[in-house]
Amino acid sequence: MRILVVEDDAEAATAMVRGLTEAGHEPTHAVDGAFGLLEAQKGGYDVYVVDRMMPRLDGLGMVETLRKDGDQTPVLFLSALGEVDDRVAGLRAGADDYLVKPYAFSELIARVEALVRRRESGSVATMLKVGDLEMNLISRAVHRAGQEIDLQPREFQLLEFLMRHAGQSVTRTMLLEKVWEYHFDPQTNVIDVHISRLRAKIDKNFDHAMLQTVRGAGYRLEA
Amino acid sequence: MKLPSLLRRTPFRLTLLFLALFAAAASAILAYVYFASAAEARVNAEREVRGEMQVLVGIYDARGLDALNKALIDRSLTQSAFLHLLLDEDGRTVTGSLNQSPIETMEGDTQWITFPFTETDAEGRVRRPQVRGVQVRLRGGEMLFVGRSLRDTEAYLERLTQALWGAMGIVLLLGLAGGALVSRNLEKAMGRLGKVVTAVQEGDIKARVAVRNSGDELDEMGAGLNTMLDRMEASMASIRHAGDAIAHDLRSPLTRMRAKLEVALMDAEAGKIDGVDAVQLALDEADSLLKTFNTVLAIARLQAAAGRTPDPKVFDAADLASDMAELYEPASEDKGLEFSVEIERGLMIEANQPFLAQALANIIDNAIKYTPTGGAVMLRARRRSSGEIEFSVTDTGPGVPEADRERVTQRFVRLDNSRSEAGSGLGLSLVVAVLEAHGGRVQLDEGPGEYGGFGPGLRVALVVPSADRP
Repeated sequence: MRILVVEDDAEAATAMVRGLTEAGHEPTHAVDGAFGLLEAQKGGYDVYVVDRMMPRLDGLGMVETLRKDGDQTPVLFLSALGEVDDRVAGLRAGADDYLVKPYAFSELIARVEALVRRRESGSVATMLKVGDLEMNLISRAVHRAGQEIDLQPREFQLLEFLMRHAGQSVTRTMLLEKVWEYHFDPQTNVIDVHISRLRAKIDKNFDHAMLQTVRGAGYRLEA
Repeated sequence: MKLPSLLRRTPFRLTLLFLALFAAAASAILAYVYFASAAEARVNAEREVRGEMQVLVGIYDARGLDALNKALIDRSLTQSAFLHLLLDEDGRTVTGSLNQSPIETMEGDTQWITFPFTETDAEGRVRRPQVRGVQVRLRGGEMLFVGRSLRDTEAYLERLTQALWGAMGIVLLLGLAGGALVSRNLEKAMGRLGKVVTAVQEGDIKARVAVRNSGDELDEMGAGLNTMLDRMEASMASIRHAGDAIAHDLRSPLTRMRAKLEVALMDAEAGKIDGVDAVQLALDEADSLLKTFNTVLAIARLQAAAGRTPDPKVFDAADLASDMAELYEPASEDKGLEFSVEIERGLMIEANQPFLAQALANIIDNAIKYTPTGGAVMLRARRRSSGEIEFSVTDTGPGVPEADRERVTQRFVRLDNSRSEAGSGLGLSLVVAVLEAHGGRVQLDEGPGEYGGFGPGLRVALVVPSADRP
């Protein structure tokens, strides 16, 4: 994936470029919003990772300009501001996701990949299929290797999200945000408990465990 | 006090302005009285002169020049208020109290004139009062002048002017003295405020104004200043306290992290463990540190919001409560707790949803954490009879002794028997900060009592105003 990193903190940018390269992506670095805008207008990027506060043109201004020009490339905002209002302002300006500094690098990778995947997958599919696991989004039936699996509504949503991001790491925070639609710190690992219940339903009677724990990051559904 | 500095004082300047206005008004009145009186005196004199002239012309017409002459001589012997002069047809003086006519050339038969007349009064003082008079040509060609001195009016006006100037002088003196006095008193009072402000500027946050409760506005201002300083001092103290507490609280996880890294380094050198495991442990510690920082920051921001809910939205608290129940129920069951929920429908509130969710999550999490296996946790959301919305979480854990209930809501306070559990000691402080920013409150009460060998339990209620307009 070609990723444009717009970040004025040189050290943070270097670390990010290195990490993204190691994760198999092609990052390009722009030092502020104005350069970022020029680079973005050349086109060809899959996702923009934009720091919110920068000299010259800040992140908000840059994203607003891009959106006005009709550029719909997904944007992930990075910000040291964690207030709810800031998140709302960022999303309103046209960002697709918002990550507060300091963040775990695994969280950044997971979110960047999720943004791109979301765009690729669209939402027209009526069936999701990962390995021998099948989900019918209309009848809401789930089968693994032909066996029907009975899920609670929330378990269904959780599995749907994991299937849509199959092969990618998703973090606990992402699950709370995207499946439960809450932005707060749940203190204990309540998400883990939900995952282990889901795991008991989809993996228990099968040799191959699909729902894997990624250490230091979260979970991944593998075919 | 030096004069120039006195002149710069507001009350004194106001006094001067007021006195200037007063002097202008008094001068205007004086001028009006003066001119009105003078005009009236002139009109009166003219009327009297006209009367006298009529009488004299009557004598002349009836009995001739000699009779007139005689009448004039009679009048000059008695103390007449009039001045007379009779001239023959050649302009020579026949009789009169004037030596010479004040009129040099007559135009027509009658001519009025005002002129100064030099006279000597009984005490021998020379005066020059104005005289108003008229000269008439008689039928025989003779001229008769009759005049009336305005000396009485002039004397009256002079006394009046003197009195008014004198009064104005006294008023000005008293006014200046009063202004200076008011200025000095005000200065003293302001000085008391100023001294406190200067002291605070110089760093003495404990300086306060002496308040006499006299009810005057400067006293009230002083009291207001004191209240402001009290609040500032309290928030500074709380910031300092939070700073100390953070430093204190961060020391133990930092120390722990350092120790773990040291052990990991030794183990890795000895080939006993995987270096990755050690780094993972260090990362976990770093994350928990960051979480502590973020929570402290959130509390500080909520407190700075001072009762104004940040980014409020109207939503149904019942939905929030059932989402939280759904989220936490599995964790509760995993610990072997009976988890029950009782939620009324239609509980509209105006709140910041993420913060309120966090508050609710914190108290549910606490209940699950501190209730021993076999116990029960109950979440309720309902409308109180007062109309307020109440979330409550009741557990059957050891509870919090009444004496400690106030204290556990403070930052970093952890009761002795809770230290073995993971946690920052910030959870309830954040809950309190969230509720206060929503104009709500947190109530801690005893739970249901003895239950399954434990108890008495704890009931934590979050009370927020309803969004339904009554």
